[in-house]
Amino acid sequence: MSTLNRDLLLSLSAAGHNEKLSKMSETIEEKIKSYRTAPFDARFPNTNQTRNCFQNYLDYHRCNKALSATDQDVAPCDWYQRVYKSLCPMSWVSKWDEAIESGSFPGKI
Amino acid sequence: MSSILGLVAKQLKSHPALIPLFVFIGGGATMSMMYLGRLALKNPDVSWDRKNNPEPWNNMQPDQQYKLFTVNMDYSKLKKDRPDY
Repeated sequence: MSTLNRDLLLSLSAAGHNEKLSKMSETIEEKIKSYRTAPFDARFPNTNQTRNCFQNYLDYHRCNKALSATDQDVAPCDWYQRVYKSLCPMSWVSKWDEAIESGSFPGKI
Repeated sequence: MSSILGLVAKQLKSHPALIPLFVFIGGGATMSMMYLGRLALKNPDVSWDRKNNPEPWNNMQPDQQYKLFTVNMDYSKLKKDRPDY
């Protein structure tokens, strides 16, 4: 009985980090499920939202690269994808996607 | 320079009605220079140091206000809502 408790405690503490990450992706999941449109971003308060679009595109790819490099679940990165799909013209997104595939994308990812 | 200032001061003493002219033109020039300075130094779109601070707008807090005058925008209620990575 006591060894069972000890193993349970050990597994819980090891899973504590994973639990926190999964909690964060749970709240992100909730936010993605209830997503309506891109929220106000204090970094881009003016009418010109070009940089907002580009920054979210970059953040999506950086998030994918960072999370898959440490073998974590890339689901939270979908938030950035929803935001840039709301903001960016489709022609820009397809142009950048082609540039990424051909290796000529100018942004730092 | 001081001789020009002395000349202007002498002319002002004989035509004191010109003083408000200097005040307003000087104030206007100061205000425009100050706004340009604020734009150059405080605007998060401006990056002076591309190596060490390449994206200065990312250093802003989620409830930090840059605009001088915001209508219908309550900055105190904003929180960070982007996932970390």
